[in-house]
Amino acid sequence: MRVVPALSRNLRELRMVDEKQTRSLSKGLSLKSKLGYSMKKTATLLAALAIAMATTQAEDKIVIKGSDTLGAKMVPQQAEAYKAAGNDVSFEIAAEGSSTAFTNLLAGTAEIGMSSREVKSSEVDEFTAKGMELKEWVAGYDMIGVIVNENNGVKNLTLEQIEKIFTGDITDWSEVGGAAGEISVYTRNTSSGTYKSFQEMAMDKRDYSPSSQKMAGNEQIAAEVAKNPNGIGYVGLAYIENDGIKAVDVDGVECVAKNAKDYPISRSLHFFTIKGKLSPAAEKFLTWATTDPAGTEIVEKVGFIKP
Amino acid sequence: MSDSAAKTERPKRDRGPFPRKGFQILGLGLQDFIRYFFGGNAGLAIVVLIFICLFLAKEAIFFFPQHHHEYRIYRQAGQEYVDLIGKEIDTHTRLGSTVNIAYLAEVNESSTEEDQLVNALLQVKTAVENRTERLGERLGDARESMEDLPEEIAKEADPAKKAEMEKKLAEARKLEQELAPEWKSEAEAALDDPTIWDLDRNPVRLNTEEKVKIREAVLMAEPAREQDHPYFVALRESSAAKKEKARAKYETFKATIDELRNAVKPVRDLHGELRDVAMENRRVLDKFETAPARKKALIEGAEATKDPEEKARKLKMAEAVVMDTPDYEALNKPIYDSVPKYEEIEPTFVSGVTKAWEALPDPKTLETKSGREKLRAAKASYEDFLKSAENSSEKIPKWRHDKPMSVLKTVLAFFFGKDWITNSSWHEFYGLLPLFSGSLLISLIAIVVSVPFSVAAAVYVNQLARSQEQNFIKPALEFIQAIPSIVLGFFGILVLGTALRNLSHVEWLSWVPGFPMSERLNMLTAGLLLAFMAVPTIFTLAEDALNNVPRSFSEASFALGASKLQTIFKVVMPTAISGIVAAVLLGFGRIIGETMVVLLVAGNKIQIPDFTAGIGVFTQPAHTMTGIIAQELGEVEQGSLHWRALFMVGMVLFCISLLINYFAQRILKKFHHAH
Repeated sequence: MRVVPALSRNLRELRMVDEKQTRSLSKGLSLKSKLGYSMKKTATLLAALAIAMATTQAEDKIVIKGSDTLGAKMVPQQAEAYKAAGNDVSFEIAAEGSSTAFTNLLAGTAEIGMSSREVKSSEVDEFTAKGMELKEWVAGYDMIGVIVNENNGVKNLTLEQIEKIFTGDITDWSEVGGAAGEISVYTRNTSSGTYKSFQEMAMDKRDYSPSSQKMAGNEQIAAEVAKNPNGIGYVGLAYIENDGIKAVDVDGVECVAKNAKDYPISRSLHFFTIKGKLSPAAEKFLTWATTDPAGTEIVEKVGFIKP
Repeated sequence: MSDSAAKTERPKRDRGPFPRKGFQILGLGLQDFIRYFFGGNAGLAIVVLIFICLFLAKEAIFFFPQHHHEYRIYRQAGQEYVDLIGKEIDTHTRLGSTVNIAYLAEVNESSTEEDQLVNALLQVKTAVENRTERLGERLGDARESMEDLPEEIAKEADPAKKAEMEKKLAEARKLEQELAPEWKSEAEAALDDPTIWDLDRNPVRLNTEEKVKIREAVLMAEPAREQDHPYFVALRESSAAKKEKARAKYETFKATIDELRNAVKPVRDLHGELRDVAMENRRVLDKFETAPARKKALIEGAEATKDPEEKARKLKMAEAVVMDTPDYEALNKPIYDSVPKYEEIEPTFVSGVTKAWEALPDPKTLETKSGREKLRAAKASYEDFLKSAENSSEKIPKWRHDKPMSVLKTVLAFFFGKDWITNSSWHEFYGLLPLFSGSLLISLIAIVVSVPFSVAAAVYVNQLARSQEQNFIKPALEFIQAIPSIVLGFFGILVLGTALRNLSHVEWLSWVPGFPMSERLNMLTAGLLLAFMAVPTIFTLAEDALNNVPRSFSEASFALGASKLQTIFKVVMPTAISGIVAAVLLGFGRIIGETMVVLLVAGNKIQIPDFTAGIGVFTQPAHTMTGIIAQELGEVEQGSLHWRALFMVGMVLFCISLLINYFAQRILKKFHHAH
């Protein structure tokens, strides 16, 4: 990771040189000397680039891609702690939704995939076609909190009420014992693992109401609900302490880590790797993250439940 | 490419007044290389453009057969049948819910005064708790340990541990003594802050006396030692009593509603059963559809592995993949069997609802405004219900799983479909209408807002401004174009959206249609931002058009004694009008293609806006064609129907832009011929 900024700086300089070339070409000014100069410079930069690349190889680099739920807080913090514990590795983490875990693993652009849902059979097929097999690691458990504005008088909702609110059968807060007001439903967008998990766990697999608003991430849902007194949404456990919102009890069970077993809307989080293709460095990290107390402590710190 | 054409036109190298000098390769000089370089670049751009068009078209066109196929599966699995019943149930649910909301309004609003005060207390209390959070937590912890520790000490036998606990208890006591006044002064300071009295939900005007009471009540609710203020206890009791009275009064109303809602039960049970059947059917059919791909995958995988054992296992698995055509008739048997039952229960369902509907009280007799409005609105839901019930009972006996699906119908289902439901566990619907209407409405707002500003600015700069002003205004307006749209998007969420929403809650503005807005992310916010983004495009082009009006025109006008303004409005503007129209069209093209701002700010609600709200429709959230592509394309499986559907949306956008540009060019050409 330390080398990356230097590398990108070199690349940037290279690009600048390119621009200079075009500019001087278009002006048609003292072309030869300029060209010669920048050729020389390009050569030195290329050499620098090669050296930079060589240094990156000295250190193991683990590329992790996938779920926003895992990749927003938990995995980056684990990576930092892992490095701080004296392991000489660098990480590249991209969190853009569980589906990207599998596309990137398949394309070989990631070594570890993060997913907040189970793998689909169509995805397994794609791996089988390439002669690969997935291995699953349980990273922890997550509870999905149903959040409302902190000024909302509603404190408890049944699972059935939640299903009806998110499918659009219930449209007014007065129908669930609150003060009158049209309910604004905020959900994740369709690429999110949480979108599907919530549909399966809390909505009897029914479709979301068309009047629901699709937000890009947990943070956005929390922000909108905090601003809208009639809002309702769902977020991972790590986000229910955000300002301006509160999590409602579901079927009378409070959304706190110790209730993980009784709480009706909870799921497991996974790492995925490809069997036989895992580098020792990545394997060591995964074992550390899923079993070592120092690793699992972070799982709890960011609001999930230890594997 | 274009080079060869250029070559033939070029005069022969040795001729001409300027003989060639300098270095030459294969008889080509430096000048030639530069020339080919430019020509090649231009040609390459065109080739790339053609490739993009072909690629788009290829991906998009295959959408239709696949979409048609998917609809056929939807029918073969019996899902279409189940949805026919489902629609009927949905309209009924909506009817029941609307009527129930009317009833609840009657009950709840009987005690509005009390509830508002209790609610105000809750809000102020939460706000104070937030501000004193850290202190409150520490104080609460100290108090809890003060309460728990004595018991534990009594139980503990080990003297060493006992002493330790005693010490802890003493510490907690000391801490409590310290923190309690601190908490109180902090809470008081928070209550003195006037902003804490800005109530967000159900805003009420509090008088001084009520404020004093709330203040007292908040201070009484100390951390871990919460006490209820007698005033509010009384309020709550009075509220409950009033509600109870209202409930008693509307007992028959409630009973009628229950009757209306319960009438659906047999139909809903049937629907639930059939839904499970159809879902299982769909699973079987999907498995059949993907079987060849899975088999192929396994065989390919077997070829790729070197381990013979693994290879044998995979080949065996490939062998085991069932490729037989499913027995559609058998799969759909439970569904066909249900028709008599449906025909038996459906009339009683409809008549039950009709009877209950007729027994509902007249909206006029209700006491609250919102109750009356809701009950009146329920009439439309009732008619919807009757219509869909009629539709279902007509179609259901005739339904056949093997009836061929009309191609035209599935094509129209894309262009005029009202649902865009993806990543569904049931069936995915790709209907363009909600996205198209969202894009169109947002663009409309943006154009209506930006045209007067930018055209007026163009007229001012071109005709009236002094040259210093020109030198300032033109670059300033053109600079807007340099602002990245993501920056504007964030500005939209954090500043504009919040400010507009707060403004809409100001009481004396409530006459404005659409106010108060419930969402801060909506079409109006997005439209205003896009209007801002369109200003430079429209301004620059309109200014060009005005500039192109020959000076002789205005000179002639002045010579005839016209004033400056007369000349502008009667001579210059009419001459430049086609250019201005083209500018507006190109501005529209700029707006409809914008992605980032609408994705962040429009609210992303995939539903056709509710036009019954009149002009207020503009304050609803919506999703757009550009937004959906950006939001969903990154995640979908390549080549899947969803993927192609997004390409098709892109294709529609492309065609819209093409049309706009075409018309703009035509108008411009006309304008050039005019003089």
